[in-house]
Order: sequence, then C-alpha cells, then structure tokens
Amino acid sequence: MSDLLLDVCQVSKTFSRGGLLSGQRIAAVKDVSFQLDAGRPEIFAIIGESGSGKTTLSRMILNIETPTSGKLRFAGVDLATIRTGARRLAFMHKVQPIFQNPFESFNPLRRLDGYLFMTHRRFIAADWRGTPETAVDEALHKVGLSLKEVSRRYPHELSGGQLQRVAIARALLANPKLIVADEPVSMIDASLRISIVNLFKRLRDDLGISIIYVTHDLATAYYVSDRIMIMQQGSVVESGDARTVLKAPQHPYSRQLREAALLPNPQQAVL
Amino acid sequence: MPAETTQDYLPDEAQPILSVRDLRAHFRTDRFGVKRDVKAVDGISFAVRRGEIYGLAGESSSGKTTLIKTIAGAVRPPLEVVGGRVDFAFLPGYGGLHRAPAAEVARIRWRHLSYIMQGSMNVLNPVRRLRSAFVDFAYPHIGGSRKQFEREVVAHLARLKLDPSVLAAYPHELSGGMRQRATIALATICRPEVILADEPTTALDVVVQKEVLGMISGIRREIGSSVLLVTHDLGVHAHVTDRLGIMYAGRLIEEAATVEIFRNPLHPYTRHLISSLPRIGDDVPREGLEGAPPNLADPPPGCRFHPRCPLAMEVCRRQVPATLETAPAHRVACFAVNRSEEA
Amino acid sequence: MAGILRDLLRYHAEFRIGAALIAVVLLLSVLASFSPYPPQDVYVVPPDVPPSLTYWFGTTSRGQDVFWQLTFAIRNTLLFGCTVALISRILALVIGLISGYKGGWIDRALMSVNDTFIVIPLLPILVLFYFVMRDRMSWLLLALIMACLGWAYDARLIRSVAMSLKSREFTQSSLFSGMSTREILVQEHLPYVMPIVFSTTMNNMVWSIGLEVTLAVLGFTDINTPTIGGMIYWANQHTAMVAGVWWWIAFPTIAVIMTFIGLFLLAVSMNDYIDPRSRLRSFGGAS
Repeated sequence: MSDLLLDVCQVSKTFSRGGLLSGQRIAAVKDVSFQLDAGRPEIFAIIGESGSGKTTLSRMILNIETPTSGKLRFAGVDLATIRTGARRLAFMHKVQPIFQNPFESFNPLRRLDGYLFMTHRRFIAADWRGTPETAVDEALHKVGLSLKEVSRRYPHELSGGQLQRVAIARALLANPKLIVADEPVSMIDASLRISIVNLFKRLRDDLGISIIYVTHDLATAYYVSDRIMIMQQGSVVESGDARTVLKAPQHPYSRQLREAALLPNPQQAVL
Repeated sequence: MPAETTQDYLPDEAQPILSVRDLRAHFRTDRFGVKRDVKAVDGISFAVRRGEIYGLAGESSSGKTTLIKTIAGAVRPPLEVVGGRVDFAFLPGYGGLHRAPAAEVARIRWRHLSYIMQGSMNVLNPVRRLRSAFVDFAYPHIGGSRKQFEREVVAHLARLKLDPSVLAAYPHELSGGMRQRATIALATICRPEVILADEPTTALDVVVQKEVLGMISGIRREIGSSVLLVTHDLGVHAHVTDRLGIMYAGRLIEEAATVEIFRNPLHPYTRHLISSLPRIGDDVPREGLEGAPPNLADPPPGCRFHPRCPLAMEVCRRQVPATLETAPAHRVACFAVNRSEEA
Repeated sequence: MAGILRDLLRYHAEFRIGAALIAVVLLLSVLASFSPYPPQDVYVVPPDVPPSLTYWFGTTSRGQDVFWQLTFAIRNTLLFGCTVALISRILALVIGLISGYKGGWIDRALMSVNDTFIVIPLLPILVLFYFVMRDRMSWLLLALIMACLGWAYDARLIRSVAMSLKSREFTQSSLFSGMSTREILVQEHLPYVMPIVFSTTMNNMVWSIGLEVTLAVLGFTDINTPTIGGMIYWANQHTAMVAGVWWWIAFPTIAVIMTFIGLFLLAVSMNDYIDPRSRLRSFGGAS
C-alpha cells in the first residue's frame, strides 16, 4: 500500500446559524471521502455549483476550518492535531493555497515582494544556498515572470493574470507537495486562463506537485485534470477519471451540468 | 476588394434602433496634482438592428462596461464623453442620453430602453416586496387602473414562465436565479425596443444561467426587443447572440455574425481567443496569449494590440488601423488582415 | 512623509489653514522657554493692566503677564492632550486589534472589559478621583486616568475593522507565507486602521483638553501649574468678567479655540489623504 499524500475520510461539516433557541443547522459537506497518492502527483478537480460545499471542503483541507466529523490526514498526520505554531508552519510548508480573486490575495496597500521574500524566509531560507533574490527570481521564472517585473510593484499595477501567477510563485516558494486552488481562473480573462491552467500541468509534470482544482467550469476541468469529483449540496454524486466522467456522465446531476455548460460552439446553440 | 468605409458605417438595413458613432469616453482625474486620462472608450462605431441580439465581448480593461454605461447615459465625473454620438431611433437629435433633458430621459427609460444588470440586488429594494418594484418602475408608463396593471403584470410573468407568486416575495426570499429572472421580467414589461444587458448571468450557476439566457432569447421572440448583451463569456455569446463585436483596449476590433466569428475569426486577437478556449471532448493542447491588456491611461501608440500580436508590422506601431469590411458583413481593424485581403 | 506634507500643503486648503493655526499655537508654547517670569510667581507686574505695547495681552488681577502665562498654559495643555492621546491610542490599538483578530474567548473577555469602561460616566469619576487623591493629584496622574477612560470607544472601532480584515483573503496569504500574528497585525492590518487612529487622536486631544479645562475651571485640578483651564479658573475667582478684565479670559479662550479648530482641520485633511479607500480609488482606472 503506497503512502497517501492526502486522506479525506468521511468528512462532514455542519454550520449552525442563529441563536441558542432558534438555531439553524446547515450541512455544508456531507460524508465526503477521497485520497491522493504520494507517489503519483495528479490534478484532482472538485466540481460543484454554489452551495455544493466545495469551498468548505477546500478550506478544511487547508486546515482553515475544522470538520464536524470525519478525519483529514496529510502525509499520515491528522489535521486536528495541528494546532500549535511549529506544527502549523510545518504543515503550511507542504500545503499552500491559491485563491479565487487575485486582487484580494494580496494587501492592496503593500508591495508584492514582501510576501514572496517572507515566504522564502520562513520556509526555505535555512536550506537555501544562494541569496533570497535568486530564490524568488527562480520561483517567478517558473510561472513565466521575473523579479525585475514584480519588484517594488503594488497589486493594482499588474493584471489579474499576472497577479495570479505571482500568487502561484508565492505558493511555490514554500516548496509544497500539494496546492489547493479554489476557483483560480474564474476571475481571469479567458485569453489568460489557459496559460495558468497549462502552468498547473507543468507543476504536476516537472515539479511533482499535486493540485486540488476546485471549480465550476467543466471545460477547464476536462482540459487539465486527471480525476474529478462532482459535488451537489454537500455530497459527492460522481467521481472518477476526468475524461470518462465528463464525456459520458452517469449521474443525472452530472448530466445536467454537462448539458448546461455553454461551450463556445454556436452550431450547437440550443437556446 | 474590401469596401472601404468611414467611421460612420451603418448597415444596409432599415435604420437601426441604436447607432453608436465614433464614441469616445475618458476618465479624467486630477488628484493631488496627478492628472490621469484613461481612454476607456476610444472611437467605437457600431449599430444594433431591430429585433437582433448583438453581443459585445471583451476582457477586463476592454472598456465594455464603460461603453454600456455611456450608452445608458450614466455619465458622471470622472467619466466624460469627449466625442462621438449615441443615437436611438426613438430619441433622435441629442447624440446621447447624457445630453438629453431629464424629462426626455424619464420618458424613454423603462418604456423604450431598459437594463438588466449583473447584480439583481442593484435594482430591487431589499425591504419591499417585488410587486412594489413593478409599481415603481412600470406603472407610470403603463397607467390604467391598478387592477388592470396587476393583471398585465401577471400575464407578462406567465408569458415568461414565471410563477406570479414571486410578486408577493421579498428579494432575499428568492434564489439568485429567480431574482435575475424577475429583474428581466421587470425590464421587459413595458415592451422596450432596446434592452441593455451587462453581464446578466455572470454570478449565476451554470444550470440557472441556461434558464436565464433562454428567457432572454424568448424575449426577442415574444416581444421583438433588441438586446445589447455585454459579457466576457464567449460561451454565452455563442449560444444567444446573432452578431458579435469584439472589444480590445477601448476599441472595436472585429464584428461579424456570431457563427462567422467562431468559424472564421480574422483578427489575431480573436483568433487567439477562440482557439484558447478549452472544450469538453477535445484534447488538443492550447496556448495562452503572452503579455497583458494595456493600461488605458498610457496605451501603446497605433494599434493597441501590437505589443502582443504575432503579425505586428511597422505600420501597426504608428497608425491606428481603420475598421474595414474585409468580408461581407465582417468588419476587422487590422493592417495585416486587410492588406492580405487586398493581395 | 515630506512628500505627503508637501502635497497636502499645496492642494488642500483645509490643511493649510489647520497647519497655520497649529503653527501659531506651537509657536506660543515654544516661547514659554523665553519667559522672563517664572510661571508660578504672582504679583510680578502691575495687575489689571489692559493690553498695551508693554503688556501685549494685558495682565491679570494676580499680577501676572497674560501673554507669558498663556505660553506656559498652552504648552502644558498641549502636553497634557498629547500624553492622553498617545497612551489611549496605544491601548485602543492593542486591545482592538487583538480582540478583532483573535476572536473567541479573548474577544469576549476584552469586550466585556471594554463595555464596562464605555459606560463609566467621566466627570463624576474624575471628580471622585480628585476628592480621593486631592494633594497627590499631579498632571501625569490625571493624564493616566483620562487615558484609561478614553480608549474604549475607539477600541471598538478598531476591532470591527480588524474583524473585517481577518476575513479577507490576503490575511490568509500572509498566514500561509508564515507570518506570525504580531507581524500580520502590524504589517497588514495597521495601515487600514491608521485613518481611524489619526482622526480619533485629534478627537481624543480635543476631548481631553476640553475635559481638563472643565475640571480646572471647576477647580478640580492642580491649579498652581498654569493651564488654560487654570487661567480661566483664576479669572473666575477674581470675577474678571464683572471687573472688566476681559483680556484675562478672552486670550486663553481664543488660544484653545484655535487649537481645537486647527486639530480638527488637520485631522480631516490628513484623513482624506491616508484613507485606504480614497487611495485605492486614486489607483484604479476604468474597465
């Protein structure tokens, strides 16, 4: 049995809203399980609409939320035991996030290099032989940018696509094994989207990083993922190999999603 | 031989319902001594025919939001219209809603020209029931007794396949999709000739999006309104619009029938955009476009796409390409394309 | 910093006026060092002399030169205001940021303390302190007490900004960049909180000076050290208005009003400049 990079085991999350007497309980995630192998880097897509629980699930994997029941294990370590500073740092060394809105991912009042150099300092500097500048420049080169372009810039001076790449470079500086990307391209222009998605492929192939790609966009999920998992109202309705599931979905909800996806092909217009 | 036309190009058909001619709208700010002139809309000309759904596609900083704001007359500092005109068939003479007197604007708003915006909550008052929105917006135009008006509203909702019970609901009680459909019903009850739709389905789930777009198509069938649909989502354009205009950095760089744009895109930007869209069932590897859209406060000289264009020539850096009718009903603003057509 | 001040001076009329007023007030307080008379002494000059060339602001019934007294008074009053503002800002910032960021039981504990302080009625408590401490009531002690009473409201404001910042994604980015809580609060959140700190500093100074004047006029402070309130107190003791010695009251009042208006104008104009929202708006273009 090979080592598991990530083991999500019957995880559920319920939120309660309202006061003591009239509380409402909302089940955001219901009994979800899946695994990622350590030896085989892959891109794993979690597909769902709003209210499907995909964002809550991704936050639990990042250890930003705690599950109401079930267990999440990363490299064998139960996430519930990671509470203190040192253990959190070790966890963040291996698991990094990418958020949906590149303009919100960075403080608009601060320069971008601050985040890059801080990530380097906290996670890598002890083992790094060169200067911090070379490390940051190398990470930026991996995403198609350079330190010269980014140095001393504020977030509003770059486009959404460039900022998202800086966010990926920042995540790479921690040398992670897993990147959790929550709708990373939905706020990016269509012409720039494909280059970010291609970048994910390179991260998997060249750097051996597994990526959890949370999205509602079936087309990019088809293009880039190895396996997918479709969620509806907190539960998994279908999962498996990406090409198989998307070309011939079995579950009625998956079928509905597939049909409703507006593909750029006017000959097939049905409206 | 491509027909050479001026910027005052109009289609051959009968007079269009909306015509935009060489429109220029800039954001001018002067703050603490720093002057900025953002050329968001820089010389756009096109026309919308009666009963057609005309799409405007463009990415961020293409100027499409500013364009639709200007057409709708929402021109407030720092936004200024510095040139060109916007003419509606039902409001001739002023050259733009922002120049017309308030009484005229009130006359045509909602009755001849209405809007569907991205956030339905921008239109609906959260503390009042939906019925009051209909009364506030439409009753002044339709008149008659309240009972008659109510009957008309219910009939209209039925036509659009909406349950009349939504009238009694508050906005927050409805789902996002229902709200947007109710907003569309609100925008169409007076049977306007032109509907401006700005990203009407962007925040909605895919399944709901399909219903809302079906409703917009249905409107054209039932009422005969023209729709100017602005969205960055090419999938939406492919399924709903008749003609499509592609915007880049404040200019209209290509315009043709939607089917034609997807089948035979001519401008390098459009070609790249279409080919970079992934499709289910298609495993072809695709490439992204290098660089980023230009900063509109300091755009590149000449053709604004030339820094990223694989076909860029010397003339592209110096002159702005004119929008020429390269193929029948297919306009393109590109030196490379138009020259090769000549040859 | 110099660039900001230059821009403000050039483009903001309010800032210019405010700066001018405060400059005059500061000049007065600096001049105190050149006073020929020690501040506590009385009957050093002929009493009740109206403003003239020898005695620019006239003299008091106690035989002090109003002008030189005023320089000491305004200096002490300003120092007092600054001390209170500084200490209470620090308290408000620390408590507000930690409470807003940490949440949970820390937040609840700090906010219950905060609630207690907000509802304390100020004047009765201060009067009570005076009666209890009477002779040992020095200026520093009074400043400390007022600082402890003046942080509560602003801490709440800062806390709500901190809470909204916590939910923004760049806070998560900072966390995953390995930043500690202290670093996040200082480097990420503080810039958003600064406008509040700034405008409330001015408010706080105005409030503390006003309260001090009130207490002094009523005689509840150390009235031998000259302050604005002290001067008015002594003027009342000698029934200056009735006796026609209007200059004794007028000039301190004018000085303190100039201080208030100057601080207000400075606060308003700096706020507009520093406020992240207006800065962000000036960055953004069109789309």
